[in-house]
Amino acid sequence: MATVRDLRDRIRSLKNTQQITKAMKQVAAAKIRRAEAAQKRARPYAGALAEMLADLISAVSSVDHPFMKPGRAGAPAGIVLITADKGLAGAFNANAISAAETFARQRSGVRYYTVGVKARNAVRRMGMPDHRTWMLGGTEKIETAREVARVVTGDFDSGTISEIVLVSQQLVTMMLQRPQTRKLVPILAEDIAALRGKDTSKPPTEQKGAIEFAPSPEFVLSRLLPKYLEFTIYSAMLETDAAFFAAQLVAMTNATDNASKLIDELTISMNNARQAAITKELLEIVAGAQALGVA
Amino acid sequence: MANTVPFKLVTPTQIVFEGEAQLVIAVTTEGEEGILAHHAPFLAALRPGVLRADVVRPDAGGAASRLELATSEGFMQALPDRVTVLVDEAVRFEDVVVADVRRERNEATERQKAAGTDRAGFEREQTIIEFAAAKLRLTGQK
Repeated sequence: MATVRDLRDRIRSLKNTQQITKAMKQVAAAKIRRAEAAQKRARPYAGALAEMLADLISAVSSVDHPFMKPGRAGAPAGIVLITADKGLAGAFNANAISAAETFARQRSGVRYYTVGVKARNAVRRMGMPDHRTWMLGGTEKIETAREVARVVTGDFDSGTISEIVLVSQQLVTMMLQRPQTRKLVPILAEDIAALRGKDTSKPPTEQKGAIEFAPSPEFVLSRLLPKYLEFTIYSAMLETDAAFFAAQLVAMTNATDNASKLIDELTISMNNARQAAITKELLEIVAGAQALGVA
Repeated sequence: MANTVPFKLVTPTQIVFEGEAQLVIAVTTEGEEGILAHHAPFLAALRPGVLRADVVRPDAGGAASRLELATSEGFMQALPDRVTVLVDEAVRFEDVVVADVRRERNEATERQKAAGTDRAGFEREQTIIEFAAAKLRLTGQK
């Protein structure tokens, strides 16, 4: 049986751990608020972009932008995998990575582009040490998103990859994050409709008569599609950020609770052990006295 | 208020301006385009340039004031009942640091020279150069 001192040491170390998890929990709670504020600031742009895209799609009779056509047959699929830079958030990163692997199994070949240190490490372990990778944190997220978009569309245009798929964590509720696999390119009209549904409470513009485009709908569309891609990656990065802190909040709450439970159990054991030692000592004294014939 | 139109200027990271405007002038790929209230539906691609708007300040008793911003590439959507401008970046006069902008422009010019036959790269640098020029024009510098 553990001695009183052993138990006391364990309790002390658990309390230290608990302090750390409690602090991380509070930090995560504060950071969720900030991440959500960033997401909220991006919403007006999303709404306006989707509305313009919808107008364009309905105005252009035949869409012949490369982004709206299938890529070169036989080329590997391009997967943009977004995770957090850090761990300690339960299965948050692992879930996104395994969603990417699940998708990869449906394709004969894939090429990874990763955002976030955890995604980078995982893909390196898969045996692709020199894929393109970016950090989730650090620089301005919109700059990173632009560069990711530029690299993947460059590879799509050159036929290096046949499609662009985005795998990232979705913040369903504060308690629930779910990995999501989205096909970005070729862009489907339904995707645009879905984006539109998210924000605009305004009526569709088609009711307002014919729209004049400068210089032409095709040109505006060719400029707007890359922006749409950029922005989708950007908003996935923001969502990953918010979802990460939500996952971390849950993980750290659980860790703190578990530490409390363990501390309680160990405290009882310690008290038992101490009492047992006292009882044993008393018995020894009584037995010693009896042996001497004092009683 | 019949002669004003709700005007919104947004970037991916924030709403730069939201309010009533009498006139919005933006630089489209075809040249400058001025939009008044009740404009026919219109959607244009924007080049980097200086966006100007006569906006109504509710705090100044409805008096109009001039809003000037250097904007990067983007789009403008004009509808009879609202005007929306989407740009990558929008910078106010007070946020322009002339020395930084000049350095940006010079670096982009160097990269453009190095780009050679890479057309996409050339155009990307051109956008940065034009945006830098717009920022300088906003401050009256060269």
